[in-house]
Amino acid sequence: MPVRIWRKPLDAEKAKPPCGEIHILKDLCKGCGYCIEFCPRDVLEKSEEINKRGVHPPRVADESRCVVCSFCTAVCPDFAIFVIEKPCEGGR
Amino acid sequence: MSEKDVSKAEAEEIRIGVYVCHCGLNIAGSVDCAEVAEFASTLPHVVLAKDLRYTCSDQGQEIIKQDIKEHRLNRVVVASCSPRLHEPTFRKVCEEAGLNKYLFEMANIREHCSWVHLYNRKAATEKAKDLVKMAVMRAALLQPAVESEVPIRPEALVIGGGVAGIQAALDLADTGYHVYLVEKEPSIGGRMAQIDKTFPTMDCSICILAPKMSDVGHHPNITLLTYSEILDVKGYIGNFKVKVLKKPRYVTSDCTACGECAKVCPMIAPNEFDVGLAIRHAIYTPFAQAVPSTYVIDRELCLNKEGVIVCDKCTKACERQAINFEMKPEEIELEVGTIIVAIGADVFDPSIIPQYGYGRYPNVITSLEFERLINAGGPSGGKLLRPSDMQIPKTVAFVQCVGSRSEKTGKPYCSNVCCMNTIKDALLIKEHWPETQIYVFYVDIRAFGKGFEDLYRRARKEGVIFIRGLPAEIVEDKQTRDLWLIGENTLQKKLYRIRVGMVILSVGLEPRKETDLIQRLLTLSRSKDGFFMEAHPKLRPVDAATGGIFFAGCAESPKDIKDSVTQASAAAARAGILMAKGKVTVEALTPIWIPEKCQACGLCVKVCPYNAIKLDKERKKIEIIEAACAGCGTCGAECPFGALVMRHFTDEQIIAQIDAATEVDADKKIIAFCCNWCSYAGADFAGVSRIQYPENVRIIRTMCSGRVAPKFVERAFARGAAAVLVSGCHLGDCHYINANYQTKKRVERLWKKMEKAGLNKERLQLVWVSAAEGEKFAAKIREMQPIVESVTPEEIEKAKEVFQKALEL
Ligand SMILES: Cc1cc2nc3c(=O)[nH]c(=O)nc-3n(C[C@H](O)[C@H](O)[C@H](O)COP(=O)(O)OP(=O)(O)OC[C@H]3O[C@@H](n4cnc5c(N)ncnc54)[C@H](O)[C@@H]3O)c2cc1C
Ligand code: SF4
Ligand code: SF4
Ligand code: SF4
Ligand code: SF4
Repeated sequence: MPVRIWRKPLDAEKAKPPCGEIHILKDLCKGCGYCIEFCPRDVLEKSEEINKRGVHPPRVADESRCVVCSFCTAVCPDFAIFVIEKPCEGGR
Repeated sequence: MSEKDVSKAEAEEIRIGVYVCHCGLNIAGSVDCAEVAEFASTLPHVVLAKDLRYTCSDQGQEIIKQDIKEHRLNRVVVASCSPRLHEPTFRKVCEEAGLNKYLFEMANIREHCSWVHLYNRKAATEKAKDLVKMAVMRAALLQPAVESEVPIRPEALVIGGGVAGIQAALDLADTGYHVYLVEKEPSIGGRMAQIDKTFPTMDCSICILAPKMSDVGHHPNITLLTYSEILDVKGYIGNFKVKVLKKPRYVTSDCTACGECAKVCPMIAPNEFDVGLAIRHAIYTPFAQAVPSTYVIDRELCLNKEGVIVCDKCTKACERQAINFEMKPEEIELEVGTIIVAIGADVFDPSIIPQYGYGRYPNVITSLEFERLINAGGPSGGKLLRPSDMQIPKTVAFVQCVGSRSEKTGKPYCSNVCCMNTIKDALLIKEHWPETQIYVFYVDIRAFGKGFEDLYRRARKEGVIFIRGLPAEIVEDKQTRDLWLIGENTLQKKLYRIRVGMVILSVGLEPRKETDLIQRLLTLSRSKDGFFMEAHPKLRPVDAATGGIFFAGCAESPKDIKDSVTQASAAAARAGILMAKGKVTVEALTPIWIPEKCQACGLCVKVCPYNAIKLDKERKKIEIIEAACAGCGTCGAECPFGALVMRHFTDEQIIAQIDAATEVDADKKIIAFCCNWCSYAGADFAGVSRIQYPENVRIIRTMCSGRVAPKFVERAFARGAAAVLVSGCHLGDCHYINANYQTKKRVERLWKKMEKAGLNKERLQLVWVSAAEGEKFAAKIREMQPIVESVTPEEIEKAKEVFQKALEL
């Protein structure tokens, strides 16, 4: 059996991934779903709600997983989503 | 008759010279050598028979040489000691007289006769005659043979870049050979790079290792392949073809290791190098002194999955533009002549011992974690911190033999380094925090090496308390996270209950999990403990049983750095000898394939322990790779169609011995088949130890018990033998990796057959005898005596009938 890794690293507090605050401009979304599909951390999901353009905009499923890569912003054709880095708190 | 015809006829006429040796009184003391020589002269093809006082002496050798020339001898039989001792001597004598060395045969009348039958001169003399007869009958069928030569490619592969692999690679490269060093991790260094100081000198480990690592990186004769795996190995000594998978690092060699990329990478995970005590990023280098220093991207962790570039933080941060997500895995083919296996050792995972609480109690750590904590470059900056509260503990306990010397954990062996490692660790703590109270719970302290005892004494002088008796249990105080060790002090026969702030489990070493794969790819053997097994524990300690492969470091058994390095240099020298010679001769013991008889059934392919036979089903062909064949003869015994003739151990030759041994009084005899390496040597050892046993056994030597075809056993019974003994190396210890499993299978089949035919299956015995088990061999013969005595004439007749077919061969 090789070495088992199980502990929380001692410096885990010091080097945390950045935390993001996600802003979705629901009515700009045209429902292409790119952000949901391409988010590498599975932060977003489709919502039930119907917006002004008659489609389901994304909603945040788990903001704590976001690492502010901003790819959602980059892929969104209609500038409907952006992320700003915020101070991390609590769990992470 | 023309002159040519005469010479041809003469060449074909078999002329045997027999020399019966007195060996002073060693043989002559209990065997009438003159009588044996007299008897030998009456045997077919024997043109002269002499008894000599010391046949191996210069005078003895001269006599043989002269006789070969004068009497045109074309076969020589010496009846003296074990062929394991003097066969090479007499073979040389023959060659010097112009006779092919494969035309020489020995009868072992010392170890197997005079020494084990000291008190019955008559019976010993009769047995000696039988042994000479068997040798003469076999000699008549011997064939000259030329040994083939295999070229050795002057390039080497070293698998594993720990200190052992590093040393072996450097030694070979410095000698002038090109070396490929393959390491699975992103950096070379192995365990030694992880540890802080080294016992017994207390040198800084990485300080002495790093220069060697960088030498490897810069050596013109070394091709370093890190982050690479061995996929496949084909071929044999001198000509191995190796497939290596070089995994993409996604960072090119333009990287200057500035670390800017890691600073911006959002993804983190525990760093394996730090045993998870520190974090690393998705783009990382395992440690500061890594060689190569080029960073690597962990694609499992990186946000960028196959085909989608989501994150470009590192790419942007890298001024040298060294990051390249387009890199693909590469398959590299190497051709090398020799291989050194240096894959090192893993450490034991103590969470399988629930009483110690590892994995549940944060302040119970392993000795490997300790190394990272006490290391100034480690996650705590060299402070021994309790993971629970990041405080330096005031009391510390070491628990020894965790995963060593215990049947319960399946690790009965001693891991060799842990005692000294603990003493080193204790002294390190004392150096930094002299007030710390330190307990060491042990079974025995093994301070056997140079400078070890001094270190042990120093530790005691500095107040480290050694308590004999491992704790039965470790219990955590939920509030303080302190730990109670509860057990018995076996010296004072008193129970102890001691409270400490931190427990360090001194974990043992165990085979790397990759050992299975490497074993399979290189057809290696392993000892009971799971580490690789050397060809001979004393005399060939770094050779594998498979030609051209050598071991270095902990891959072979747990050992410290000094021993690993010593072994690495030895392995490099051994590999270097082969490559310097540029060729090896293969003993002419390999099979000859008879295409007309072969049915391409492939049975031989399945039993060959060395994968030396290839089957071409379509063309109904097999191919024997001589250089890979070790000459065990297992294939020859397996082939149902007689399509494989084992050179120097042909069916006819072995049958001639069986027939000679069973000519008179077969019903009182045991025909024994012994393998050269273990059981024959064991019988030799019985002789050397003068262990006495009944005279009725006649030993036939084969290289491996795997050569013993069922038809040989059947033939012995068909000729009226009372009993047959098949013996070989212990299972798992076979000189030919695992050929003796075939022996076991065949004997079991014969037992079934005998049972079915209503024969007493006790008449066929199987025993595993090591070279050291003279008494075991003798005991077996003694044990078989009542079986031999109780066999009735009817039973002998019945067996003759049942196995009648075996006479047709
Ligand atoms: C906690 C601890 C403390 C120690 N302290 C000391 C000490 O103070 N003094 C001392 O003398 N010794 C000490 N030792 C022992 C020392 O670490 C070993 O003697 C030494 O590391 C053995 O070197 P190695 O090259 O044989 O194996 P390793 O160091 O284990 O290196 C083997 C290398 O092979 C690589 N590898 C494995 N499998 C493959 C594969 N399939 N393909 C390619 N590469 C592979 C591994 O990644 C590794 O880099 C200590 C050991 C431990 C565990
Ligand atoms: S910033 Fe990256 S991780 Fe966060 S939601 Fe957008 S795509 Fe997902
Ligand atoms: S692409 Fe982003 S996540 Fe991946 S290694 Fe570079 S910085 Fe880290
Ligand atoms: S079974 Fe033994 S003798 Fe036959 S080819 Fe393989 S190694 Fe050689
Ligand atoms: S066992 Fe005999 S017949 Fe079968 S493939 Fe091998 S050599 Fe041919």
